[in-house]
Amino acid sequence: MRASTSPNAAAPPTSAPDLQSSEHSKKLRRLLLISFGWLLALLIGAGVDALFSVRRLDRDSQEVSRRFTARNHALGTIIVSVRIYDDQIERFLLQDQLQESAPDPADLTNKIAAVRAALLEFPPDRDPDEQLLLAAMQQQLQEQETSCAIVQAWRADLRQQRAYQFIGQQLIPWRTRIFALSAQISSLDERKLALENLAVATRFQMLESRLVWLVSLSLIAGVLMSLVCGWYILRLEREGRLRYDALSRSRLELEGLSARLVEAQEEERRAISRELHDEVGQSLGALLVEVGQLSKLVPPEDRVTQGQIDHIKSVAESAVKSIRDIALLLRPPMLDDLGLVPALEWQAREISRRSDMEVEVHSQNVSEDLGDETKVTVYRLVQEALNNAATHASAKNANVTIVQNSDKITVEITDDGHGFDPARQRGMGILGMEERVRRLGGTFKIESAPGKGATVKAELPLHKADSP
Amino acid sequence: MRKIRILLADDHKLIRGGLRLLVEQQPDLTVVGEANDGRETVALAKSLKPDVVVMDIGMPNLNGIEAALQITQANPEISVVMLSMHSDESYVLRALKAGAKGYLLKDSAESDLIKAVHAVAEGKSFFSPAVSKVLLDDYVRKLKRSGAEDAYDLLTPREREILQLVAEGKSNKDVANLLNLSVYTVETHRSNIMEKLNLRGIPELILFAVRRGIIS
Repeated sequence: MRASTSPNAAAPPTSAPDLQSSEHSKKLRRLLLISFGWLLALLIGAGVDALFSVRRLDRDSQEVSRRFTARNHALGTIIVSVRIYDDQIERFLLQDQLQESAPDPADLTNKIAAVRAALLEFPPDRDPDEQLLLAAMQQQLQEQETSCAIVQAWRADLRQQRAYQFIGQQLIPWRTRIFALSAQISSLDERKLALENLAVATRFQMLESRLVWLVSLSLIAGVLMSLVCGWYILRLEREGRLRYDALSRSRLELEGLSARLVEAQEEERRAISRELHDEVGQSLGALLVEVGQLSKLVPPEDRVTQGQIDHIKSVAESAVKSIRDIALLLRPPMLDDLGLVPALEWQAREISRRSDMEVEVHSQNVSEDLGDETKVTVYRLVQEALNNAATHASAKNANVTIVQNSDKITVEITDDGHGFDPARQRGMGILGMEERVRRLGGTFKIESAPGKGATVKAELPLHKADSP
Repeated sequence: MRKIRILLADDHKLIRGGLRLLVEQQPDLTVVGEANDGRETVALAKSLKPDVVVMDIGMPNLNGIEAALQITQANPEISVVMLSMHSDESYVLRALKAGAKGYLLKDSAESDLIKAVHAVAEGKSFFSPAVSKVLLDDYVRKLKRSGAEDAYDLLTPREREILQLVAEGKSNKDVANLLNLSVYTVETHRSNIMEKLNLRGIPELILFAVRRGIIS
C-alpha cells in the first residue's frame, strides 16, 4: 500500500505551477491576439488608403487635363471664329475690288455673335489672371462690333476709298491683339497645367513613401510576431512532450504496481493456504486420530463420555472441512499436485457440485510442466469466469476450452447465461482477469450481450520454459 | 504368521505419530519406517522393501503421486495407499495412474486405515467410502443433466462380473480360472467393457468401478 501513495504524492506540487503557467499562457494568448489584430488593421488600413489615394490622384489628374483641354478648345473656337469674322469683314470691304458677290451684312452680325458666343463658351472656372485677359478680349470685341456697325453703314464709294485703310489700320491690329491675348491665356493655361501636374506627382510620391513606410512597419511587426509565435509553439510542444512523458511514466508505474499487487496477492494466498493446510489442518487431523484412539480406550458402556467424544470429533471434523474449503479457494494444491488440466477439471466439478451449472473442460495438447505464473493465471481466469457465469449470469452450461500451440496457450470460457454488456459492466473481477493476462503479455477479450451468454477469451504467450 | 511391513510417509510428524499408533495396535501389522518427504519415501521403499506404503499426496520434494509412480515402477510388489484430503476424481485417477492400490481420505484414516492396509496387502483395491460416494454423485449428476443413459446398464451380467474382478486387480488369467473361461474370451469381454464404458486403461476402469460401488 505504501508504494501506491508515491505517484499521488508527486501530484500536488505539479498542480500549482500548472495553474500559474495556464494563467501565463492565457495572458500571452490575449497579447498575441491583440497584436495580430493590430497588424491586420494596419495592413487593411494601408491597402484601403492606397486604393483611395490612387483613385483620387487619378481623378484629379484627369480633371486637370480635362480643364486644360476645355480651355484649349475654347481658345481654338475663339480664334477660328475671329478668323472667320475677320475674313468676312475683309471680303465685305473689298467686295468692289474683288468683284465677288458681297456677303450679306446680316451674316457679318452673325459672325461677330459667333465670336461672342465662343468667348462665353470659355469654361467659367477662371482664375483672376484669366478673367482679366478674357475681359480685355471682351473689350476688344465690343470695340470691333462698334466699328463693324460703322463700316456696314458706309456707302459704296466710301467703302472703296477707305477699305484698305480700315483693314490696315483697324482690322489687322485688332486681330493681332486678339491673337496675342489668346496666346497669353494659352501660356497661362499651360503654366497652370504644369503646376497642377507637379502637384499630382508630389502627392503620388507622398503616397508612395507612406506605403513603403506602412509596409515596412507591418513587415517588422509580422516578423516580430512570428518569432513570438514560434517561441510560444516550441514552448507548448516542449510542455506537451513533458506532460506526455510524465503520463506514460505514471502509467508504467501504475502497471508495475498492479502487477506487483497481483503477485503479492497470489503469494499471500499461497502462504495463508499453506499455513492453514499445514499447521491448522494437520493439527486437527492429528486431533481426530487421537480422539479416535481415546474413544477406543473408553468402555462402550460409558455413554456420556462416548457422547462427549463424538461431539468433539464432529466439531473437529467440521473445522477440518471449513479449513480445507478456505485453503482450496485461496490456493488449490491441485495446481501443484496434478497440473493445470486436472485442476481445471476439479474446479469444473466443484462448481457443478455447488451450483446448477454443468461445466465441461476440453483440453488439447496442454503440457504438464507449464510455468507457475501461466498455470495460476489460467486457473484464476477460469475460476473467475465460471463463478461469474454461475452466480451473476445464472448459466446452466459452461464450456472451458484450453489449447496449447507452439508459442501460446489459448483459454476460452463460454456460458449460456443471460449475458451482459462488456462495454458498460466491468467489475473488479474482469479487471483482475485483464490485469493478470496483460502482466504475462497476453491478450484478453470478453464477448457478451444481454441474453446472448458470454465468452471470455485469453491468449497467453509461452516462454521457453513453458513449452512441452 | 509374517507381519505386514508398513512404511509411513507424511510430512507432518503429528499425523505420522497418529498413524503409527493405529497400526501398532494391530498384532499383524508393523511399521518399518517413516519418511518425511517424497524423495525419502522413494529411497526408503527401495532399501526397506515394505509390503505397503501409506503415503500423503501433498508432500514437499516430490509429491506423493510422483513418489508412488517411482515406487510402483521400480517395485511392483509394493502396494501403495494414498492418503489425501481430496475426494475429487482428478486426484483418484492420478493416484490410480501412478499405481496406487488404495485411496484413503484423511478424515476417515482412523477408521479405514487398517482395512485398507489389509486389502491392498492381499492385492485388492481399497477406497474410502466417502470417495466412492463423491464419485458416484458426480457421475449421477452429470448423467441427469446431460440426459445420457448409464453406460453400466449396457453391460451383460458376465461383463459386470469380469469388470469387478479386473477392478479388484485380478489378471486375465486369474479371471479365466475363476470363471472357467478361456483367457481369449476374458480378453474379448474386457475390450467390450472398455468400449461400452468408453474407458482408456485400467486406472479409468478402476475409477468407474469405485464410482459405481462395485469395489471399495
